[in-house]
Amino acid sequence: MESTTTTALADLVRRAQKGDENAQRELIVAYQHRIAGFVFAMTNRSDYVEDLSQQIFIKMVRAIDRLQAPSQFESWLFRLARNTCIDQLRRQKLRRIFLPFGEEHENIPEPAGAVDTEELDALRHALAQLRPQDRALLALVQEGRSHAEIAETLDTTVAAVKARLHRAREHLREHYQPDHEN
Amino acid sequence: MKTEEQAWRDLQARASAQLRNGFADRVIRVAHGPQDSAWNALRAHASGQLRPSFAERVIRAARAAAEVPSLSSQFALSAATAAVCLAAVVLVQDRNALQNDERNLADWENIVMVAQDYDAMQ
Repeated sequence: MESTTTTALADLVRRAQKGDENAQRELIVAYQHRIAGFVFAMTNRSDYVEDLSQQIFIKMVRAIDRLQAPSQFESWLFRLARNTCIDQLRRQKLRRIFLPFGEEHENIPEPAGAVDTEELDALRHALAQLRPQDRALLALVQEGRSHAEIAETLDTTVAAVKARLHRAREHLREHYQPDHEN
Repeated sequence: MKTEEQAWRDLQARASAQLRNGFADRVIRVAHGPQDSAWNALRAHASGQLRPSFAERVIRAARAAAEVPSLSSQFALSAATAAVCLAAVVLVQDRNALQNDERNLADWENIVMVAQDYDAMQ
């Protein structure tokens, strides 16, 4: 069953590589929710979700013809997403250095009711305490990526991924307090 | 007079009254870390931020971005234009120098002929 899905995905990717807009649209629709979740986990900002997701998918459409192995599409897409989010966070950090008074406008709190569960609040709070690289690691695991795929995405070894993942989970647990009051 | 046991019970009652409802659940959740439900809530919240027709907008934006020449192609075009201009300047300069040389040579030849005629007349 899984191999059928993988084959279907590879076919869809091949069609998208040939410039078939319907195939590209299908890929976007299939992955938009997962990418949005990944972006939110990485940036902790609702107002970045649509903009960054759009950037990621535009990069996907423009670069998909350079993807060598269509079966690696998911890993490739999440690598694009991770790099785009990390670039955004880096730019945000630079802006804070050059525009120190802009910080209060950068960290606009979520409007009331936008984040509606205690669990989600706690997870967002805990994620915000981690380094972006660790957030990416945890979000990739949540996306069902294997240790080997994550190692390939992050250009590192499986052993290093396991060690970093262990530390990231420990940190997340330390900061995860469902009754946390903001 | 309170017995020791009664005093302990009072202390426990007072202390446990400090614990808010759902204390055990919270402890379990903290001990286990965020569960799938928290991650699902995060994904649901995030995907709720995408406006309808998101895919259409991405396809349109990608098409528009493809029509705008990339930075590298703009740079290549500028470099090629500069090279053509430089070649044209060198060519024109070279031709001008050649024409000047020919004109000067012709003038000198005239002068030599006039000088030779003058010598012959003397």
